This record gives sequence, C-alpha cells and structure tokens, in this order.
Amino acid sequence: MAQKEGSVGGRGLLSLLSLLILVLAGGAYVLGKPHVSGNIQAQVSVMHVLGGETDGYARALEPRVFSFPQDHGPHPAYRTEWWYYTGNLETQSGRHFGFQLTFFRSALAPRVAARHSAWGAGQVYMAHFVLTDVENSRLYAFERFSRAALGLAGAQAEPFRVWLEDWSVQGAGQNGLPMHLRAREGEVGIDFRLQSLKPIVLQGDRGLSQKGPEAGNASYYYSLTRMPTQGTITVADETFQVSGTSWMDREWSTSVLGKNQVGWDWFSLQLSDGSELMFFQLRHVDGETDAFRSGTLVRPDGETLTLQQDAVHLQVQEYWHSPRSGGDYPVRWQLQIPAEDLAVEIIPYLPDQELSLSISYWEGAVRVHGSVQGEVLQGHGYVELTGYHKQPRDRAGRVGRARPASS
Amino acid sequence: MSRLLWRASLRHLLHHPWQIGLSLVGVALGVAVVVAIDLANSSAQRAFFLSTESVVGRATHQIVGGSRGIPEDIFRALRIEAGVRLAAPVVEGDVAAPEYPGRTFRLFGIDPFAEAPFRPYLAGMRSGVQSDLVAFLTQPATGIVSRGTGRQLGLDINTQQQNTRDSLLIRVGSTQHSVKIIALLEPSGELSRQALENLLVTDIATAQELLGMTGRLSRIDLSIPSGERGEAVLAKVASVLPPGAEVRSAAARSQSVAQMTRAFSLNLTALSLLALIVGMFLIYNTMTFSVVQRRSLIGMLRTLGVTRAEIFSLILAEAALIGVLGTAVGILLGVILAHGLVQLVTQTITDLYFVVSVRELTLTWFGLLKGLGLGLGATIVAALAPALEATTAQPRAALNRSSLETQSQRAVPRAALAGVCLLLFGGGLLLLPSRDLVLSFGALFVIFLGCVLLVPVTVVVLLQGLQVLVGSRMGILGRLCIRGVVASLSRTAVAIAALMVAVSVTVGVGIMVESFRQTVAYWLESALQADIYISPPGMVSRWNEQTLDPDLVARFSAAPGVDSVNTYRRVSVESPTGRVQLVALALDARQSTSYRFIEGAPGTIWPAFEDGQAVIISEPYAYHHELQLEDVVRLRTDRGQHAFRVAGIFVDYGSDQGLVMMSRKTYEQFWEDRGISSLGLYVTPEHDVATLVASLRGLVAAEQEVLIGSNRALREASLDIFDRTFTITSVLHLLTTAVAFVGVLSALMALQLERERELGVLRATGFTPRQVWVLITAQTGLMGFVSGLLALPVGMLLASVLVFVINRRSFGWTLQLEILPGLLVEAVVLALVAAFLAGMYPAFKMARTSPAVALREE
Repeated sequence: MAQKEGSVGGRGLLSLLSLLILVLAGGAYVLGKPHVSGNIQAQVSVMHVLGGETDGYARALEPRVFSFPQDHGPHPAYRTEWWYYTGNLETQSGRHFGFQLTFFRSALAPRVAARHSAWGAGQVYMAHFVLTDVENSRLYAFERFSRAALGLAGAQAEPFRVWLEDWSVQGAGQNGLPMHLRAREGEVGIDFRLQSLKPIVLQGDRGLSQKGPEAGNASYYYSLTRMPTQGTITVADETFQVSGTSWMDREWSTSVLGKNQVGWDWFSLQLSDGSELMFFQLRHVDGETDAFRSGTLVRPDGETLTLQQDAVHLQVQEYWHSPRSGGDYPVRWQLQIPAEDLAVEIIPYLPDQELSLSISYWEGAVRVHGSVQGEVLQGHGYVELTGYHKQPRDRAGRVGRARPASS
Repeated sequence: MSRLLWRASLRHLLHHPWQIGLSLVGVALGVAVVVAIDLANSSAQRAFFLSTESVVGRATHQIVGGSRGIPEDIFRALRIEAGVRLAAPVVEGDVAAPEYPGRTFRLFGIDPFAEAPFRPYLAGMRSGVQSDLVAFLTQPATGIVSRGTGRQLGLDINTQQQNTRDSLLIRVGSTQHSVKIIALLEPSGELSRQALENLLVTDIATAQELLGMTGRLSRIDLSIPSGERGEAVLAKVASVLPPGAEVRSAAARSQSVAQMTRAFSLNLTALSLLALIVGMFLIYNTMTFSVVQRRSLIGMLRTLGVTRAEIFSLILAEAALIGVLGTAVGILLGVILAHGLVQLVTQTITDLYFVVSVRELTLTWFGLLKGLGLGLGATIVAALAPALEATTAQPRAALNRSSLETQSQRAVPRAALAGVCLLLFGGGLLLLPSRDLVLSFGALFVIFLGCVLLVPVTVVVLLQGLQVLVGSRMGILGRLCIRGVVASLSRTAVAIAALMVAVSVTVGVGIMVESFRQTVAYWLESALQADIYISPPGMVSRWNEQTLDPDLVARFSAAPGVDSVNTYRRVSVESPTGRVQLVALALDARQSTSYRFIEGAPGTIWPAFEDGQAVIISEPYAYHHELQLEDVVRLRTDRGQHAFRVAGIFVDYGSDQGLVMMSRKTYEQFWEDRGISSLGLYVTPEHDVATLVASLRGLVAAEQEVLIGSNRALREASLDIFDRTFTITSVLHLLTTAVAFVGVLSALMALQLERERELGVLRATGFTPRQVWVLITAQTGLMGFVSGLLALPVGMLLASVLVFVINRRSFGWTLQLEILPGLLVEAVVLALVAAFLAGMYPAFKMARTSPAVALREE
C-alpha cells in the first residue's frame, strides 16, 4: 500500500517538472512566433484642383509669327501644350488600324525655384497611346506621366524630339521631317515614319485659335494635315506592315475654355479629293453648342479656307451609351458645307472608342463618305469628343483639349 | 458529484484566504509579466512590419547599392533603355525632429508619377495638376505627414487655429531644416494610420536636397512577376546596372532586418517565462499544500465512497478557479504593464538595431488568448501532481499523516537521482554543437529543474549537519525548529524549492546583466583612447550613418592643439549574406592599441589592414558568419563585389550583428563615398582637453549641431546607452523578484498557518506566546535562509549558462562572468526578509489564539 502511494515531495515534483518543460516549450514556441498581418491603405486627401489660375503665364492674345523648326519645340511660358498625332492605316490585305499618340506638356507653376536636385522640375508630361484594331474590335489605350527631368521626358526643337520615356517622336532633317514615331506598351507597339505632303497649316486667325469670347481664351494652333505614313504595328506576337495617312496637331495655350463651356467635338478628316477638313465646336453647359465653332478647309494645293460659325452644318444621327462612364456619345453625323456643296456622313470604325484613362474621353478613327459638287467623296479621319461622361464634371475640360487632370 | 463535495471545497478555500490570495497574486504577476513582454515584443514587431510595409509597399525587388545608394541615372536607364516600367525611385533617411525630443521621422522621398503600383496610399497624388501636388513638386523643403501625426504634433496646412504651425523642424546630420507641411495624408484604416505615423513624405528632389543626396537614390523599387517572365525582366534590369548596384528581393531584405531582433525578443520572452515558472511553483505549492492539509478529509471522503475521479476533479477545479481568476487579473495587469514596457523594448531596439517607434500597443485577441492559455495551462499543470497525489491516497492510510512523511523521506533520494539525471541531460543538451536558441533555453530550463529536484536532499543533509554541529547548544526550541523542517519534508521541501527557484532567478539574471555591463565598461575603457570625439548628433539610434560637414572636419583638424586626427566612417553595405555594418578607419598609430584581438597577431594584422586591403571583423560577426582568419568577407563595393581577406578578429560589444572594419585607404579604393562619420582627436601635451573642447565648439556655426566631447564623456554616454538598453532586462529582473517575494511569503505563511494544531499543542504544554513567536520566526527564517543559500549556486549556474551559452549563441560575443558579492547578499537578504514577514502574521495569530481554540477541532 505504501509502495503504491507517491509522495508529494518526490514523485509529484517530478511529474510536475516534466509537464512544466512541456508547457514552457509550447509557450516559448507560441510566444516566439510573430503574428502580424493586414493591408495598408490610405488615400491622399482630395487636393484642390488647380483653378483657372493664369497669372504669370504668357497668353495667346494676338497672332504671332511662327518659325520652324523652333516652334516644333516646347513653349514653356504657356501653361499647356501638346503634340497630337492621329492616323488611319491599313495592311496590304486591307486590315484597318487607327492610332493616337499624344504628348501633353503641363507647366506646374509660372516660376519655379532653382533646385540642386536634378529631379526638381517645373514641367510635367503626360502621353496617351491608343491603337484601334478594327478587325478584332479592340481598343488598346495607355497613358504615362513623368516630370521633365533626368531625360525621362521632354521636348526640344533642334533636332526636333518629344518623348516620355521610350514613347517618342523624333524629327530628322530641316523641318523636323520625316518624323519617327515609336511607342510600345506590353504587347502593343507602333513604329512609323511620317512625311508631309502639304505645308504647315496655321489654324484660326494666322495660327491664333479663339475658343471663347474673353481675350486670351485662345491657343496657338498649327497642323500638318496630310502625312503619308509607313511602318509597323505590333499586336501580341504579330507584326503588321502598314501604310496610311496621319495628322499632326500642335497647340499651346494658357487658358482656353470659358466658365460655362464643358467640352467640345473636334473633327479632322482627310478626304479622297485631296483636301482636309478640321472643324470644332465648343459645347455649353446647357447642352447647346457654343458660338465658338470654327474650322479650316485645306484644299489639295495647300490653300486654306477658314470656315466661320455658320459655314458648317453638323447633325448628330446616332448616340452610343458608354457602359463604363455612363456618357451618351454622338457616334454618327451628317456634316454639310453648303458653300462648297459638300455633304458627308461620318461613322466611327468602332462605336466604343472611349478612353478610360485619367480622364475619360472619346477619341476614335472614323470613315467618311458622301459627295462634293456631285462627285463621290470618301475618306477617313479622327473625332474627339470630351465632356460627355457622366462623372462629376471634368474640370479639366476648361483648360483645353484632353488636358490632363484628375476627375 | 455531490454538492456536499463542492461545499467542502469552497469552505476550505474560504478558510485559507491568505493561501489562496497569495497564490492568486503569484499567478497574476507571472501571467502579467509574460503577457506584458509578449505584447511589448509583438507591438514592436508590428510597428516594424508596418513601417517597413509603408515604405516597401508592393515592391517585390529592390535595386540597392553601396553606402551612398545608387546613382540616379540608373532610373532613366531602367525605364528607357531596359523598358522596365514598374520601377519607383526612393530617396529616404531617418531624420530627427528637434522640436519633439526623441521623435524621429522617416524622410521618404518619392516620385509621385512612379508611385501608383507600389504604395497605393500615395497614388492619389499621381495624376493631374493639383495645387498641392504643384507645391510638393516645385517648392523646396515641402512635405506631407499623416493627418493623425499632424493632429498629434499640432501641424496643419492652415495655421488659423491656435497652437498649430505649418512647418516641421528636422535635423539631418549636423544641420537643421524647416519643412513646410503642404498636405495631410488621410489613412483609410487603423493599419495605415499606424504605418504612416512616422513618415514624412516629400518629393524625391526635396529628399535629395534635404538628405544631401543629390544625384543619388537610396534604392529603386521594382515589381517583378514570378516565373519565366520575371526572369526575363530581371535580366533586363541586370543589363543596365553598374557594378556597384544589385537587385535584392524586398521580402528577404526586410526579413533580414526583422531577424536582427529575433535573439533579443527571444531572450526577453525566455526571461518572462522564468517569471511564469516562479508563478507555477507558487500554484504547485499552494495546491500541494491544500491537498496535504486535507489528507484526513480526503481520506474520510474516500472512506465514505467518493471516487478517485471525483477527488481528482475537485482539486483540478479548485486550481482552475485560481487559474482563471489569477490569469484574468494577470492579463489586465499585463496590459497595463505593457504600456510601460513597450517603450523600453522599442527604445532598446532603436538603440541596438533600427529606428522603430510604437505609439500604442497592438492588442490582439491572439495575444491575449496566448496569455490566457499560458496562465490557465500553467495552473492546471501545476495542480495535476497534487490532484493525482490526492487520488492515490488509500482511504485508511490517507488519514495517517505519519505515513505521508515516511513516504516523503523515502522519495528524497529518488528525487535527487532524477535531479542529477536532469542536470546531466541539460548539460548534454548544452554541449550539442547547435546554435539554436530555443534548444539552449530548453537546456537551461532542464538544468534549472534538475537543481530544483536536488533541493530536498540538500535540505536534509544541510539541516542534519546543522543539528549535529550545533544541536546540543540550541536548546529545545532550536531543535524543535530544525526538526520541524526535516520532519515535515512533504511541505517544507516544496516551499524551499519554490523559494530557491524564485531567488535564484533573480540572482542569475542579476549576475548576467552585471557581467555584461562590466565587460562593456572594460571594453570601452580600452577602446576609447583618443582625447576628444566628434560626431553628428545621433538621432536616437546608435548606428549613425550621418556625416560631418567636410568644412567642419577641416576646421577641427586644423585647430591649434590638435595633434593628430582619426577618422571613422560608418556605413551599411550589401553582401551576399545581407546588410553589413562597415567601418572605415583612418588610424593614428597610437589608436591601434585600442583594438584587442582574439585571433591574429597585431604585428601582422595592422600592416595587412593598412596596405594589404585586408579587413578585421568583430567577434559577433565572426560567430554569426562562422568566419576564421584568412577567410574572406564578400562585400558589394562601388566597383562590384569584392572578397576581402580577414586579417584579425577583434573584441567588440558595440553591435551584436557584428562589424567589418577596413582602412580608409582600402575604403576609398572601393567606394566613392568620401564622407566622415566621426572624428577622434589627440591633443598635444601642452593643451588642456576641456579648453580645446570649448574652443572647438566655437567653430560650429549656429544652424549646425555637432557633438564634441572628451573620451570620458563618450564613455559615460555609451554606458548610459548600455544601461538604457538593459532597462528592460532590469525591469524584468525586478518583476521576477517581486513574484519571488510573493512566493516566499505565501509558501512560508501557508506552512505556518497550517501548523495551528501543532502549535496549539505546544501552547497547551506550556509554551509562552513569545516562545511560539520565536519558534515560528526562527523556522521561517531558517527556511528562508536555506533557500537563499541554495539559490546562490543555482543562480550562479543559471548566470553562467546565460552568459557563456545564451549570450554567445544570441549575440556572438564572449562576456566575462562578474559576480558581485553585493548581489548575492541581496538575494539572501531578500529571502530572509520575505521569510521574516511571512512568519509575522501566523506568529501573531498563534500567540493570540488560546490553546483550547486551536485544539478544538479534535
């Protein structure tokens, strides 16, 4: 009996100790394991969007003398500037592509303190690269931002070059021609060589394009309207040899839109009779088109005809509803210039060419058919529609065409 | 089970409030210490994780370089030539905020245009032209802090309100700058709020200018897919990297930083578990005691037909009750305690490893459940043995007290044998050539428990020896006193063991800290030999990579009275095994005697060091990387990776990660950095050090801040930092001592209270109350003294293992064991005082009780 019994001082202690070791080992293991997890998120408090601040910048007040190649380069005294390339191209078998490659320059402030750091910059660049693959009904749209520092982005006149990282336009020769366009993002890329068949077209009044009634609500605006284009397009693993016609728009300004202007419709058409048509209208907040609508007809010989307010009749025939932005975009128009006996219908290659980038807008390749003075007229071009999406009003619309801004 | 049984149990508990109360306190304190340390550790870890996460973001890889980062042109090459677009440049550094002493910010310079894929919380700043973004990009010295930090520090973008301002003073190196706050970051959740707390976000240009890093980047963050596509991207990245830069996995990098504190945290955890052990002994003591007290009751119950299972459940339920109450109180206490401890822990981590700041505790259910589990588990485990004990009692024998004591006497040799076995086993574990810390601590605990098992035999031998030596001269009271201890060994052995555990832990930890401190003090004495030391103000961290203004260096060097100058450059550089702390030295011949080598002869080391591009490494570095003389250390230099020969291994206690040192000459051959972190000046004999310090201070411009001090001042400052880093250990030591004190008190008091009847008999046979008082006090005093005495060798053994094994394996350095007599005396006094106090109440109670009342239960 006595043998069966343990004793508190001896065996009990022993069994306690062995268990103790177990507990401690377990405890050390559990305590030794770090226990952290979770995600980190924060948002920068909404900062005030830059208003219509124009103090300290140069303004487009009166016609100026353009000189090239200098004016291909940047004009940093103005707040905004862009190099806008659009075009319609086809493979030999007739597969159609549209493209847009645009570089936007934006001055951060009229005067910027000198900095020791090379990253200190007064200019910011944004670029959009869009490819419309008509056959597959696909739209590829990309955008980039960079400060103009360290060679990451910038523009220069001689030799002409504008670039944002490895998206670039590079000019060779005296007037920056031919121009070499290169952009690639992931599996989509373009590599084009652009010539020009016509001299530079100064839009508006000798290059001064008035956008609103207030003095200074205007831009300097010139174009190359017919640029034969050769090169390659890459989509996924396929590379296509393409050729076609491009259009270059150059515009710089400090303030463009007036208070109640919300957006615009802009057309650039290259027609089969050898002429080109540029036309834009500004839309009012109440949906009416503004008094400021204007255009230029470029004749085959390069002679230009400025189209005043009433010279162009434009009628929307069809709308397309964007499931993304909720906007209703016009996507079919009847355009008439009675004085020229010109009537055409404008139809997008794809209705959905809305770009869901930092700002939402519609920019797409269109084809044109109709007649001029009884003859059949065909062609293609690009249309830009801004201010239609149903998000909180895009205040960027005030500043200029497709200006970068947050919505 | 019948209600009667429960009522019997409850009555027993209520009749022994002291016993139960003190063991509650013991459990509560033990649990509190463990919970507090765990909370402090995990909060610090979390703070580190969050601050890392906030700046690493979603980067998978990073391009890193040498001591001064990488040239900024790499970024353009990466983006344009290599076409790698998921890349974001970062310029960062820790800066002090002099207006808020002790507070540091991570100055984090970014390019908002490249940020979106990496740190989504900064992405809102990306697009478009916004007025704040404009200021952020174009105005020098502007920055953004989180809204919470802004509120805390009274920083706001509009200063309309009282007590707010819109600029923050920061100090970089020796220069101060004012940074204008132009926006507040709005965190979207609790996590982000903590992560952003110490971030001062600026544009990359601003960061370069403020940190003096124009032309350089701290790193480039990359987001690289896994698999083959990722390999292709990495190859493209590699094609544009200069020899001084390389790609590292981001996770590995922050992990290796987090790993730095592992040994430290584990040591703290182990020390806190020691407190829990002491608490467990308290529970064990209490429960054993209550079983012993109720042996006759249990015997009666068994005779009446109560089953073993019922008895077992009863005892365990009692323990669980104490456990639940004690643990609940302990967790509460622990949370309160943690608020204090977390600051100590983070201070130490900041002093020793990296800047981390915890403004609040991270209380997680998991952490609290861990505490609950440990507290309850420990209680139940401690009560298992007594519960089993109660069930094994045969109904008749249980009534017989003397049979129990006979058992106990017989068990003594068996316990001793087990103790010896455990000691051998633990010793064997220590001898294993492993470096694993958990194993080492396991071995430590095994050895410790071996010592505990040897307590009964030692007590018997000691007391019998005492009896033989002085027995005849002590009179009846003395003999009664000693015999009482030996005769009721079932109770006294456990109590003495518990006391011994408690006291020896305080002895062991105390000796370890003191040894460490003394070793460092000796080392500082020999290591600091120049007369005057000059450095930029440390932020809060010891590893200070800030540089001195070159103009100042020139002015100091040319000052009259300066005989010769040593320069130091501290930097972190990359190596295949992680980041390495590198020191470049330009030495005066005299200074070379300040390094003590444990490997290599100074006569051959110094020439190789000066002219042979050889390096010397500190003992911890050699230990962690298992390096010996003539091995090589591979470092990423500005000229690519280079293997440096190890010419010597020197003694150093400045960094537990270890140091690599090379001559300034070698450093300048391989790195472009020409900065100087600090200076050591030798003064000509005819000049007075104090006067020269004053005149050197006069050379410093008003907006600059430089620390200039004599070697004595630096030594004292270093020891201050040392003491600061050990505050947490000292606090733990103190807490364990408190638990130990409560242990002694409760064990002995319970013992005496239980002797009510025995003392009643003595009173009845003619003992005066005074004699009873003397007997009780003498007996508790004797037990206290014996346990204090036993705690000394055990404590020293514990200390030796901590010093020679645990410290070596944790930090890689060899310490000298320093045993201060004061510490030992303190331990015995602690045991005696607690014992004396424990005897007071029972003696008082017994002296006042009439013998008849004490005997009434018969």
